[in-house]
Amino acid sequence: MKLEIGNFHVQDIVFGEQTFYEHGILSINKREALSEIYEDEKITYADLVIARPGESKRIVPVKEAVEPRCKVSNGSLYPGTIHPIGTLGEGRTHALRGSCVLAVGNKWGGFQDGLIDMSGLGAEQTVFSQTLNICLVAETNETFEQDQQQKKNKALRFACMRLAEYLGKSVKNMTPEDIEEYHSQPVTKRNEEVQKLPSVVYVLQVQSQMIEDGYNSLLYGWDTSHLLPTLLHPNELLDGAIVSGSFMPSSSKISTYHHANNATVKALMREHGETINFLGVIVSNLNVKMAHKKRSAKLVRQLAKSLGADGAIICEEGYGNPDTDFIKVIEELEDAEIQTVGMTNECTGRDGRSQPFVDLSTKATALVSTGNVSQVLHLEPMETVIGDLESLARDGNSGGWDGSVKEDGSIVMENNGIFGADANAGNHYKTVVEF
Amino acid sequence: MKKAIYYINQFFGQIGGEASADYEPEIREGVLGPGLLLSNLLDPDIEVTHTIICGDNYFASNEEKAIDKILHDLEDHYFDVFVAGPAFNAGRYGFACGAICQAVQERFGVPAITSMYEENPAVPIYRDQIYIFSGGNSAAHMRKDLPVVANFMKRTMNGEEHLSAKEEGYFPRGVRLETFHKPPVISAERAVDMLLKKLNGDEYETEIPMPSLKGVPPAEPISDLSQSKIAIVTSGGIVPDGNPDGIQSASATKWGQYDISGLNELMQGEWQTIHGGFDPSAANENPNVIVPLDVLREYDREGKIGEIHNDIYTTVGTGTTEAEATRMGGEISEDLKKSGVDAVILTST
Repeated sequence: MKLEIGNFHVQDIVFGEQTFYEHGILSINKREALSEIYEDEKITYADLVIARPGESKRIVPVKEAVEPRCKVSNGSLYPGTIHPIGTLGEGRTHALRGSCVLAVGNKWGGFQDGLIDMSGLGAEQTVFSQTLNICLVAETNETFEQDQQQKKNKALRFACMRLAEYLGKSVKNMTPEDIEEYHSQPVTKRNEEVQKLPSVVYVLQVQSQMIEDGYNSLLYGWDTSHLLPTLLHPNELLDGAIVSGSFMPSSSKISTYHHANNATVKALMREHGETINFLGVIVSNLNVKMAHKKRSAKLVRQLAKSLGADGAIICEEGYGNPDTDFIKVIEELEDAEIQTVGMTNECTGRDGRSQPFVDLSTKATALVSTGNVSQVLHLEPMETVIGDLESLARDGNSGGWDGSVKEDGSIVMENNGIFGADANAGNHYKTVVEF
Repeated sequence: MKKAIYYINQFFGQIGGEASADYEPEIREGVLGPGLLLSNLLDPDIEVTHTIICGDNYFASNEEKAIDKILHDLEDHYFDVFVAGPAFNAGRYGFACGAICQAVQERFGVPAITSMYEENPAVPIYRDQIYIFSGGNSAAHMRKDLPVVANFMKRTMNGEEHLSAKEEGYFPRGVRLETFHKPPVISAERAVDMLLKKLNGDEYETEIPMPSLKGVPPAEPISDLSQSKIAIVTSGGIVPDGNPDGIQSASATKWGQYDISGLNELMQGEWQTIHGGFDPSAANENPNVIVPLDVLREYDREGKIGEIHNDIYTTVGTGTTEAEATRMGGEISEDLKKSGVDAVILTST
């Protein structure tokens, strides 16, 4: 299976008469872009605002991030959501690298939304301060969830995907500045040299704990709480097979942007054929009932064993209760003599003295830490707020509380509420150490 | 210029050897013994204004008195940082350094720093409270150990950011907080690197050591349920509608206490769940699924239990740290004990 991602490295974004890309500048016809957004009647208000790295801008509540891309051949983006079912992971995909579409509430945040500072003390907390962000600031008629702490944010998130594709299409017929190639033979057709290398799987446990539809991560449009561990080709993940959910506290969230840019999978693909035989991605879930936790953990083990894995990297999209799923999978794999490395964030409290996970195991001997959800941040005021600053204090943000927003615009909050901060897919260099 | 006060024992304070170990604590102006070296190392950022000398035996046998006297002496002087030792492998000296550093830090709110050998029995006792630098096992290491301490003192006083315990050279204090990896290696690369090492049987270092677990012994079983006073405590976030006490929906640090006397059940609309970790619809429709007051009232009427406490206690469990949960549990227990509650039904989700 061969996937080519053709890159166009965006240097700046401006509004203009037409939507086109030239010499690093993405120009957006705002009216045309917004008319596509308004095709969904649920959107009652929408605007586009650019936020560049280094600018004094604070964006909140951020609900989703999607990379502007388009499929040039072999299928459509995000099948099962904004496009009908089809397959992914082959052919050519074009991407406007260095840019990102953010779904931002004009008002009404929630538990699962996040904050991004483009400069200042809070910028380094998340890699989303480093992208040229096209903020889709909008309101919807989804009043049923307006005062709900947990929001599906469906209209906004889907609009975000559609806008990202609209922008991505501007480079559909152009020649990429460079091409990333992801090429691997089917598992049983690999040559002897590759078969001799240690076999590795990547286990991705996505957010899937809500019972009602509309909140959980989607795999080819299918609610991941309803799946049993399944094998995905790495190309499928990098091409948009998983769409992010909407309920996990924001710093733990793997946005659709990071699913398609999963740094761990990219690193494993780079090592494939050199130091490892990368077998594929096992998509699993984070469950609520004990029987489901056990079922998924045991089936991850069975799948890994059947494939002949020698090693595994396990990624948990979450903290707290899902730590039990994470530890269970690690224990099952280690019991099956598969060497594990787990990567996830911790919850050590504001003073750093609480145990890192809800569940611990002496079998979890190799762990990579991506952050502390409890880390307290005192952030200075930003000149411009994109969205609704009060949502941090008023709407039940997982990292904010009544009093988080001061009169002068400065804020105090926990890392929990910073958008995509911990990047459990491996994309950031933030970590936790003992002091 | 910042000010430091330095604690040493009778030997380094040039009073005498073992025979002088009962020397009562005294505070002197200026420096002597290793204080001269320390002064030079701290110059010009920090001035060591006073030295406290105390016999190791005296401190060991009269810890409370010794600490009281020393804290009392210190009250007359302004200082920004406190330093003691190095104690190397000397057990009594190590305990004295640890205890006095902890007491000074608590009373005066200044950083307290010492140094000792990793096998010094005082290390596990005090390492979580103060900065204990990892030092050599004898006084021969003085010229290596003191500069490390002095350097840390200077950087701390200059407001410089601390690196991890390992990088600074002191025993980790059980505080895990964020930092940015230097050089900036993203977690994906660190994970793949760690896996390759593990697969090849090479040495690697985990970024999250698994701590040893402290168990909580269970209470004695109830002998006669029909005579017992039962209370319901929940981490399922059931609160009166509107969440009057503003309990957090995750990472909770507050708990609430609500009167349920006279209520046969919790009615829809009067109570809600604010728990941020699960789908709230079932609980909002029937709060009794998390706080089973309806069934408990039945048991009461049937004589299965003695009586039901007037209040329920509630907080939210999701993401709530172990430390906060322990504190809240302790506070709630105080009230339960005061109210004569014999047993608790603890519900989560």
